[in-house]
Amino acid sequence: MRRRGASRAARLRPPLAVRWMLRLLLRREERRAVVGELEELFELRRERDGERAARAWLRRQWAQYPPRLLAARLRPAAPPVPDLNRTSGRRAWRSGEPMDNLWRDLRHSLRSLGRTPGLTATIVATVGLGIGATTTMWSAVHAVLVAPLPYADPGALVRIYTDSPPNVFPLSVADYLALEAQQTRFEQVAGAASATMTFTRGEVAERIPGRMVTGSYFSLLGIRPLRGRLLGPEDDAPGAEPVAVVGHGFALRYLEGADAALGRTVRLNGTDHRVVGVLPARVGPLEDGRDFFVPARWETPPRRGPFFILALGRLALGVDRAAAAEELRAINRRIFPLWQDGYKDERASWAAAGLKDQVVGDAGTRLALALGAVGLVLLIASTNAANLLIARAAHRRRELTLRGALGATRGRLVRHLLAESALLAAGAALVGLGLAAGGVRLLAAAGADYIPRAHEIGLSGPVLAFLAAATLGSGLLFGLIPALGGARSRFESGLGAGGRGATATAGTRRLRRALVAAQFAVATPLLIASALLLTSLGRLQRVDPGFRPEAVLTAALLLPAERYSDPAAVRAFWERARSGVEALPGVAGVAFADGRPPNGVNNVNNFDLEDDPTPRGESEPSTPWVSVSPRYFALMGIPLLAGRNFDPRDAADDAPEVVIVDRAWADRFFPGQEVLGRRLHEGGSPGWTTVVGVVGAVKYLGLDQPDAGTVYWPMAQRPAEHPIETITARFMYLVARTTVEPVTVLPAIRRVVRDLDPELPLTQVATMEELLADSLEVPRLLSALVAAFAAAALLLSVVGVYGVMSYFVQQHTREIGIRLALGGPPRAVRRMVVGHGMRVVGLGVALGLVAALAFTRLLSSLLFEVQATDARAFAGVAAAMLAVALAACLLPARRAAGVDPATTLRAE
Amino acid sequence: MAKDTLGEFEHQVLLGVLRLGGEAYSVPLVLELEERTGREVAQAAVFIALRRLEAKGLLTSRLDDHAVGETGRVRRYFKLTRAALPRLRETRRALLRLWEGVDVTLDGAR
Repeated sequence: MRRRGASRAARLRPPLAVRWMLRLLLRREERRAVVGELEELFELRRERDGERAARAWLRRQWAQYPPRLLAARLRPAAPPVPDLNRTSGRRAWRSGEPMDNLWRDLRHSLRSLGRTPGLTATIVATVGLGIGATTTMWSAVHAVLVAPLPYADPGALVRIYTDSPPNVFPLSVADYLALEAQQTRFEQVAGAASATMTFTRGEVAERIPGRMVTGSYFSLLGIRPLRGRLLGPEDDAPGAEPVAVVGHGFALRYLEGADAALGRTVRLNGTDHRVVGVLPARVGPLEDGRDFFVPARWETPPRRGPFFILALGRLALGVDRAAAAEELRAINRRIFPLWQDGYKDERASWAAAGLKDQVVGDAGTRLALALGAVGLVLLIASTNAANLLIARAAHRRRELTLRGALGATRGRLVRHLLAESALLAAGAALVGLGLAAGGVRLLAAAGADYIPRAHEIGLSGPVLAFLAAATLGSGLLFGLIPALGGARSRFESGLGAGGRGATATAGTRRLRRALVAAQFAVATPLLIASALLLTSLGRLQRVDPGFRPEAVLTAALLLPAERYSDPAAVRAFWERARSGVEALPGVAGVAFADGRPPNGVNNVNNFDLEDDPTPRGESEPSTPWVSVSPRYFALMGIPLLAGRNFDPRDAADDAPEVVIVDRAWADRFFPGQEVLGRRLHEGGSPGWTTVVGVVGAVKYLGLDQPDAGTVYWPMAQRPAEHPIETITARFMYLVARTTVEPVTVLPAIRRVVRDLDPELPLTQVATMEELLADSLEVPRLLSALVAAFAAAALLLSVVGVYGVMSYFVQQHTREIGIRLALGGPPRAVRRMVVGHGMRVVGLGVALGLVAALAFTRLLSSLLFEVQATDARAFAGVAAAMLAVALAACLLPARRAAGVDPATTLRAE
Repeated sequence: MAKDTLGEFEHQVLLGVLRLGGEAYSVPLVLELEERTGREVAQAAVFIALRRLEAKGLLTSRLDDHAVGETGRVRRYFKLTRAALPRLRETRRALLRLWEGVDVTLDGAR
């Protein structure tokens, strides 16, 4: 073939498809013989019948090669004459070895995919993205919601808490001691309290997080130390040596590793603790991020509260949670009379819930939403791939029809198409695996602030299994639909149409339209969810926090008990800190508070009103209880609406206890009445506290919470001692309003504090604007995530409808040409095409709206001031989708209207 | 495989080779078959039948690129094997047995 022959020897190159086929199926010499002999025959024909007839004959001859060769190849043992009676799929399997077939199918598919690189890349990228994102989300859902807690026999672990509807709070010391002494249904109970302690190394002091735990804590959870021993009951005994167990990270950072850590002393809150044990690097969610564990030595308190103990129980063998709960209620009833004077809430009882629920909290809803959203995107991406493959199959119908006519069984054709899909799915899985590997690492690292158990997220077996399942599901979806649709048309007129008419069957067209409708039906709820979340976020951002957040810097200070046991020394420190910081350039004023808006309340307290006493046996009302210095209101821009501010009178030793309430509190308890002068019993204390002022409402429980009232009490009246350290006079946030950028004065403030007490760390430094932004971080992240998924869904759906409509126009070029030739206005053509596309989209969107009505209710708990069925979100999304789809239909419609009738008809 | 029956077209192709002296390439074979059967014969079909008969051990083939020197073409010659003749004979006998007593009926019907 390469050499040019003599002039009389005909040189007729076979058509491209035949050349490919010959190259694929014949050895080189065989090929040369076939071509040479056919040329010879052609010359003989030409002499006998003339050039024209000979060429027609030759075309017929060439056309027979691909199907006959394929047939011979596919069914080597079958008779050579094509048998139009179909052979059963089972027989085809038996005749050729299955592995052989599989290999051939894959090789063939690889080649055919290589011929359409754009399509292949699109499918691999979009589906791969979907698989990667879905797998990443699943890794979080699995680690947080599905995987058992990494403790011994986690199913038997419960958290015991106080249940006083609608409130749920921890146990108190009195509660815990009674529980420990009286319970019989638990193999073991343990108590733990979060504690932040000052860790001192030479000159440097630092606040580090840890826990005070009872001696039963580690054995109850079944935790084993990496080095040394863990805490036991002997460590709880009064007078026992102060010991500590430290976290692995802490040992590495400060104690030269786990081995060197044992036996060393660490100075916590001014007391030396001997390190007796080091925890392993991988710990459970209760230990994660905690640097130290010290024995909790709780003694019977003077009153029932406060409530701060996380109580854990391990159910005894054969005891179910209901039986345990029954006993808990009984014990609680028994101890109720002991504390009745200060704690009247008879309805409050103890309850037990699985420890995992406690750990996971409300993160489950958000994670499930994110997984659902990204799963829908994968579904749409797969549908899109199915649609693209159907379009491709329609173009290849001639090939498929040929193979079908030659006796390739339907099963074989399906297998071939499935092999293609398997290759595409494998490519997508690879892309997805790469994305998931990165995504999982990112999530584990960055998710710690937003997701419990984030450190347990990883590419574990179940996560990889999910990836495999997602790939299989997606591959079956975009593989089976076109394969079944494509193989169905096997005996249709593809062969006789001269090779040009790749007219889709009505069935294929219906299928493609159904897929596009399905895409819109799936994308619509996703977009609505996104619209709802964004609306909710917008409302949250517009919430008035009740104060002026600009240029306010805050930082926490906790004076260690051993050096500040004298109340006068504590007062003197705060006064010196105030005057020192106020003297700094750029600082306009300094105040103190023990809580920070918008969700940094330190203390929620119950109280009993003199004029509206709580009946015996009912829960007393409770509100945030914030202790402030007199300047706080002016500095924060909180208006004083009535009465007086705190003043030096309140600092006197014999000063009456006074509080200032906010407008919301006044409206809640004394609507339309005078509030000043009202008296209340605070938190079970016997004395009266008087309301002396009313200020503007401020959010302390979160921007999304309704104003339920806040009580302010003077800093000067804080107790010297309290079981919770942050309620004592020794804890305060320093609040500084600046005239310059707040962070620029931070170094000077640190210097002032260090000059006062070099061992005192300044912690939790943040500007008020940062605190506001942080409180919106989770909703913002979630909205952004869902919005990104929704955008991807919309994009894929629009691509889908565009593809289908372009195809529609291509298929109907002739009809459109005739219409135009007969004088039909282009406008009518445009309307026909657009109408056709919009019917499909409209159906999908309508179905999607119905689905959204059913599903967005699951979002309710995440929404702020937006109904899950918000009509504006629904209408807005529907309108936006229709508009975008309309734009996508208009392009093909314009092309249709521009069809030149003459060209079209001539081409026929 | 060797015990497989001969397909009708395979039978014809094998007979064609026999008629052409026991060795032939596709060109004379196509012409011979067309002349004898009165129908257009696809070279592809002949080619595939030849390959299949070779696979069944009834033909052997060789490439001959000297045959048409100057054109650079190659011919593939197929030759009957020892097994071919008994196989043809057997097929013929089987067919004749089947025809026994019915050819008269057919002739009469014509």
